[in-house]
Amino acid sequence: MNNNQCRVYYPFVGPFDPCPPIRVKTYVVPPNQFIPFQPMNLPQYPLPEALRRGTLWPALFSPYPCPPVGKGGGDY
Amino acid sequence: MSTQTLDEQYYAQLLQLQQYDFALVELTLFLDTHPNDMQALQQFNQLAQQRRQCAQQFEQQYGPLLQFGQSYSRYPWQWAQQPWPWQV
Repeated sequence: MNNNQCRVYYPFVGPFDPCPPIRVKTYVVPPNQFIPFQPMNLPQYPLPEALRRGTLWPALFSPYPCPPVGKGGGDY
Repeated sequence: MSTQTLDEQYYAQLLQLQQYDFALVELTLFLDTHPNDMQALQQFNQLAQQRRQCAQQFEQQYGPLLQFGQSYSRYPWQWAQQPWPWQV
């Protein structure tokens, strides 16, 4: 993939936060954000591969690479 | 009621059917927004035909996949027998 689909941002941490701060949070930017209108005749995966990967076109594939980070982890 | 023993072939054909179905779903959604894409349309029709053959062959051996007249059944009535396609 040209750029990593995993982006990070740093929430504001204040002195009065009720819970231990999560300093780094990640989010995924899948390729379909960058393709406004899918062009025709894109290369395709073979069918078994397409079923496993969840899409017919490699250009749109996203493994959702972001593991949860930060102390609490869980939702990110 | 004899529970049908499922052989390797059953799962292989079911997987093949799933692959066709998924590709057909993808192509259907693609064709919704690209109605004049000739190549995708031809691929869709080819896959639909192959899917029908694959389903027919599967039903020939293992009984109906769908109900209410969308699949045939042998004698005796096979639909009530174990297992249903989604149970395996």
